[in-house]
Amino acid sequence: MDKGLLAYLLIPLFTAVLIPFAARRRPKLADILANVTLLAGLVNLCWLVLRPSVIAGAFVSVPGDGFSIFLVGLIYLVALCVSFFSTEFLPEDMPNRRAYYSLILISVAAMCGIVTTSDFFTLYVFVEVLAVTSFALITTDESKAGVEGALKYFLLTFPASALIMIGISILLLTLGSLSFEGLRAVMASGIPPGPVLFAAALIILGFLIKSGVVPFHAWTPDAYQGAYAPVAAYLGGIVTKISGVYAVVRIATLLNFFDGAAAGLSGGIMFLGMLSIAVGALAALKQKDFKRMLAFSSISQVGYIILAAGLGTPLAFIGAIFHLFNHATFKTVLFLNSASLEKAAGTTDMEELGGMEHSMPWTSWTSVIALLSTAGVPPLSGFWSKLLIILALWESGFKTYAVLALLFSIVTLGYFLLMQKNIFFGKKTPVSERSREVSAVLLTPVLVMSAVIVAAGLLFPYFYSYVWMVAERIFL
Amino acid sequence: MIYHALLFVLAVLTAAWAVMARSLLTSAIMLALVSVFASLLLFNFNAPWAAVFELSVCAGLITVLFIGGVSLIRASLEAAGENRLFLRLLPLALAIFAIAAWFYLPPFFTEMTGWRYIAEDTGPIGTVLWQLRRPDLLGQIAMLAAGVFVIKSVFPKRRAAK
Repeated sequence: MDKGLLAYLLIPLFTAVLIPFAARRRPKLADILANVTLLAGLVNLCWLVLRPSVIAGAFVSVPGDGFSIFLVGLIYLVALCVSFFSTEFLPEDMPNRRAYYSLILISVAAMCGIVTTSDFFTLYVFVEVLAVTSFALITTDESKAGVEGALKYFLLTFPASALIMIGISILLLTLGSLSFEGLRAVMASGIPPGPVLFAAALIILGFLIKSGVVPFHAWTPDAYQGAYAPVAAYLGGIVTKISGVYAVVRIATLLNFFDGAAAGLSGGIMFLGMLSIAVGALAALKQKDFKRMLAFSSISQVGYIILAAGLGTPLAFIGAIFHLFNHATFKTVLFLNSASLEKAAGTTDMEELGGMEHSMPWTSWTSVIALLSTAGVPPLSGFWSKLLIILALWESGFKTYAVLALLFSIVTLGYFLLMQKNIFFGKKTPVSERSREVSAVLLTPVLVMSAVIVAAGLLFPYFYSYVWMVAERIFL
Repeated sequence: MIYHALLFVLAVLTAAWAVMARSLLTSAIMLALVSVFASLLLFNFNAPWAAVFELSVCAGLITVLFIGGVSLIRASLEAAGENRLFLRLLPLALAIFAIAAWFYLPPFFTEMTGWRYIAEDTGPIGTVLWQLRRPDLLGQIAMLAAGVFVIKSVFPKRRAAK
């Protein structure tokens, strides 16, 4: 475990335990403690990584492999946006408000544990912590849809844990070690890779289920649609990316060291990635509910990351990391906007909405930024990550996948433009007549994230040099 | 030998308690204790990794999941009755098992004790927990905290609903 980053795990954990005592008489203190903890962590991380001297030195002084600290920053950014948004969104008289913030903070600690560890079993322990907190957060909204989503999440992701556990057991039996480095050393040593590959396949399969990749996506739309909208933003923006996609990227990258012996497994991962892109995009086209459409879009976008991870070249790895970052930013904006719509109009059904731009211009235009970035329109951040992934596929000879990835990017643009037209553009409807733009508290996280999307696109050369440094440290 | 037998008996007793308890919450806690005794047995047979994983997964993670699940469905459990007639046969079954164990388990444990030297000595339980698997303990603390907040998140709503 990266000890330099341990504080980012311990401090939210400590605040989570502190909140029920400190905020017993004043529930609003829970909001303040959670937000201050996350903001302090984020400011600290920005100081570590984004100081002018660090940027001028091409990020050489960034500790560790650079991947962990990058993801810790992303976790804090999304969690802060969701937590800040929740202060206004959640009902004042919500009976479990303190527990809600504590669960958010414990999940932040768990995600930091996942991205800073270099041991498979510790990874598994923290993934389970994250699964429990996610389950509880989904049931925060105790509607029928919320409980249904939570149960589906439970029933599909816990068998995945069993697969991961079996894989870890086989690894321990064959390698005698559970560290990532141990696995890498075995791959380079020329030992017959059969059992190790089998173990890696089981672990990857478990994490693919947790990622909500097709055909293991049944829980995703129900969980996202059933949960409170900020929880859906949190799950779709970062939780499923860290509990599933991150581990797949890590392990799939290691498979590269098998020197061709794991080509079948890598091919399988790529196929599932492509299938996710296609099924997610086509299903999103047919949805009538905004949140459900975002859930399917999320499945599709995760497919791009999995496709790149399966390819496993340094360029594909850079594309995967960048798309993981982008997906967290634009999906958080879109899910939080769906929450704003729900609060202002009382529904997210696209057939009832229309002309919302007249009453909610900020929400409308931040949606435009996020959707254009998701579809890969230049110069926004999503364009660069998709370009890198498609270039990596083309360079490696996977031209069909490259063309399909490009085509489904156009489908993405299609369903998002339909969404924008149905919800925001056009003539005023009775619903938009009675709706008003949400408060500044609800708009701030969305505006911050939209600014990040634009900045990541415009400042891409800096971003690229950082991610290139990460790829060099991991691959060499 | 006496230590092994004691741990084994305690594991069996807590397992029986888990099955016979009226409250599902008590069952979950007893099941966690079974795992604790099982992991102590594994430690004593010089299998510290298996012991730590048993402690982490079964006593830690699974217990939290059970308690979280129980807290979600407690209202409907309280409303539903339970036929406990078959459970009255359990003490009889346990007694038969205990008599059989009296004859068969000592040689089994003796044989197991012989095997313990095959495994590499990794030091006492403290070394394994605090030095070799320290990050897992942090995960366990996070898991326990998550368990507490799962219950705190669900129960207030039930009270408010009532």
